[in-house]
Amino acid sequence: MIATLRNWTHRLLGRGDAAITVPMLDGALKPNQILEEAEVFAELDAPEDLATDGHSLLVADGARVLRYEGAAASEIARVDRTITGLASLPGGIAIIVDGREVRIVGGPYDGRTWTNVGGTPLSAANAIGLAADGRLLVTDGSTVWPYERWCDDLMDLGRSGRLCTLDPLSGQDREIAKGLAYAFGACAAGDSIWVCESWRHRLLQYGDSKVGYPVLGRLPGYPSRISPAAGGGFWLTVFTCRTQLVEFVLREPAYRRRMMKEIDPRYWVAPALSSGNTFLEPLQGAHLKMRGIHKPWAPPRSYGLVVRLDAEGLIRYSLHSRVDGKNHGVVAAVECRGALFVLAKGRRRILRVSIADAERSLQA
Amino acid sequence: MITPIVELRNATKKYAGVPAIQNIDFALLPGEIHTLVGENGAGKSTLTKVMAGVVDLTSGQMLVEGREVNPRTPVQARELGIAMVFQETSLVPTMTVAQNLFLGQERYFNRLRGIYIAAQQFLQSLQFDVDPTATVSLLGAAKKQMVEIARAVLHKAKVIIFDEPTASLTPEEKKYFFDLVFSLKARGVSVIFISHALEEALLVSDRITVLRDGKHVVTDEKAKFDRARLIQAMVGRDLSQTLYGRRKTTMRRAGKRVLSVENLRMAAMVKNNSFSVFAGQVTGVFGLVGAGRTETFKVVAGVIKRDIMHGGEILLHERPVRYLVPAPAVRDGIAYVTEDRKVEGFFETKSIVDNIYLGLLAKLRNRRKLTSRAEAASVGEHWAKQLNIRAISNDVKAIELSGGNQQKLVIAKSLVQDPDLIIFDEPTRGVDVGAIAEIHQLINSLADSGKAVVVISSYLPEIVALSDRILVCRTGKVVEEYSALEATEEKIMYAAIH
Repeated sequence: MIATLRNWTHRLLGRGDAAITVPMLDGALKPNQILEEAEVFAELDAPEDLATDGHSLLVADGARVLRYEGAAASEIARVDRTITGLASLPGGIAIIVDGREVRIVGGPYDGRTWTNVGGTPLSAANAIGLAADGRLLVTDGSTVWPYERWCDDLMDLGRSGRLCTLDPLSGQDREIAKGLAYAFGACAAGDSIWVCESWRHRLLQYGDSKVGYPVLGRLPGYPSRISPAAGGGFWLTVFTCRTQLVEFVLREPAYRRRMMKEIDPRYWVAPALSSGNTFLEPLQGAHLKMRGIHKPWAPPRSYGLVVRLDAEGLIRYSLHSRVDGKNHGVVAAVECRGALFVLAKGRRRILRVSIADAERSLQA
Repeated sequence: MITPIVELRNATKKYAGVPAIQNIDFALLPGEIHTLVGENGAGKSTLTKVMAGVVDLTSGQMLVEGREVNPRTPVQARELGIAMVFQETSLVPTMTVAQNLFLGQERYFNRLRGIYIAAQQFLQSLQFDVDPTATVSLLGAAKKQMVEIARAVLHKAKVIIFDEPTASLTPEEKKYFFDLVFSLKARGVSVIFISHALEEALLVSDRITVLRDGKHVVTDEKAKFDRARLIQAMVGRDLSQTLYGRRKTTMRRAGKRVLSVENLRMAAMVKNNSFSVFAGQVTGVFGLVGAGRTETFKVVAGVIKRDIMHGGEILLHERPVRYLVPAPAVRDGIAYVTEDRKVEGFFETKSIVDNIYLGLLAKLRNRRKLTSRAEAASVGEHWAKQLNIRAISNDVKAIELSGGNQQKLVIAKSLVQDPDLIIFDEPTRGVDVGAIAEIHQLINSLADSGKAVVVISSYLPEIVALSDRILVCRTGKVVEEYSALEATEEKIMYAAIH
């Protein structure tokens, strides 16, 4: 009763959740142009994920996996459907096929597959990593919507994401956490596991219990995959930033239902991996263009952001491609031999950023 | 050679021994528009107040049309033909326009209809579209300015001084105001115009004078200035001569986000303001007068309230908070060290010990029915020693302390609460040089110990010397952020103005 009254008051006065505010990109998240000005390492047809074995870069591109030794690419695996997640294992790789199947290719556990976890089929498995004890960490974004319909899950206020572990040795599977608002990316952090909960804009830590504790909350965007950094800490990718308009739409179920029913998903008032492709895109509450030029500070429909975290989850610095940029929809970043490789899915590009140069320019 | 209508020679005005203006030579020519620019505290207002008879000169000469004068009251200045229009209008809000115009000139028996007719004729002669029967409180800012100007002209002012006249005007009203200024000039009236908006200075002036730290820097024709030269003249100090030293070469790394302000609104002063404050850093907040800095942080500390509807969000340690009074904010670990210590900072008739102990009591959740004198003495002595508050004894009343020690007392009163977030509003205003160094050292040590520290200051060298991160405010919100390594005084001033 009290909660209902409070919610009603908040709605009337524009307070609490109804204030519809979005955190600032300030402090260590202050925008820069590093990602936008980064070297384009490769342009591919359908890149989905990155991984590294410490020496070379592995890329999931459509139904194939490429290995980059320097600039030269070679195909190391091919399947019949899209690969939506990739991890490097000793002697082989682990891949997610079409969000519905986890498969090991090569190495001592070659051929082992999983399609169910805890008796529930995988539906939108989107990231795979390696835990400290050798188990595979898999995030299943939604058990309701398939991988490619992630935006439907957001508009549906999806709360069916899962964090799962798979044991290559025994083949056992386990659900560590469920009910997540789109789990997207997980990584071992000491004895615990960090997992991104995209629609709640936070990073959770899971230890022995099934309860997750926020490591990093109130992010200004939707976090995606996370990978370890060489000097300790992590690289967290944020596939786009939040806007007040989208936050407002997420509070209006009738509007969303009608939008989902009647409007082409490309033109929804919703986050996107790339923007500026057609004039039919919603303007997101501000003029995206003035005299033909995108304003870099306009509310973003799409954005490019990689966040460097320390071992405690504090933000050290960030790399940006701003609203007027192109390298948007960053869904994966891995560090390999002193460089950071970033997958800007919105532009279907892999970018290469010299970490030393980036840190130097941020100090200047 | 043209005789200046008003001239100041070697003008010095000291407040309690501290010079607000020092050896200033200033000349206003007949029929010219002369703009005064400078940072906050540069001495612009003091200089004009001297001319308007609001304050006396400590030393130096003032001449009107070549004749030495010494106006001691605004009435005397007005008799000399000098009128001043203050930033906050000096009209009586409950009176009509006509009554305000003739205020001070009443006879024993006034016929209201008579002054309305006279006011109507006079306003029409100035081509001011203001109803003389309207109550002043119902007028907009621009119309109030018109009434102020009309009153000055009615008093046969040959010189009209405007102190930040455009601060509260809309763009349309500003345009109208500038037309008025030009029409005054056409009537042969000389105008002194104080403004922080450099575009305005470059637009309306015939000549511009720049003041800095109470001293005259340059006076020149408008055509010889551009924005860059003005800013350089306003901020270009010889840093080696100041207390604050060079720019920072290192900065502290940010800790956890302690405070997050999102879309904060408070009347017309704070407009959609958003920013964060992090632990273990000094966050400097700079802005010109009216930029909404103090109001924003007073809302954070519960001193004033944000808008009831759609007032935005404040998150302390990621938890939304809304304080109606300061007490819960203090209990949650927010300390606000006020800029106006004499009014808001301490109980002036209470001792050092009592003041510090009251700070501690404010933090306690349950009210104590009895307090311990021994505890008060021990807490007070500890903090007085810690902050090096110099007094004959700790039982000395706060009012008897010097400015610097009073400021340290206010800080001690907040630090005794062991806050996580400490907001210093103009921490070194009216403080002697020795105490400034001690206060700066204290601010740095607080940040080093992991506290989130905010320093609001109008003094650029202080901001640059202290801050790890600098937020620049303009028109009610943060418009720019610089790290200590990239910030320069010119960049900050540029962001504050444009």
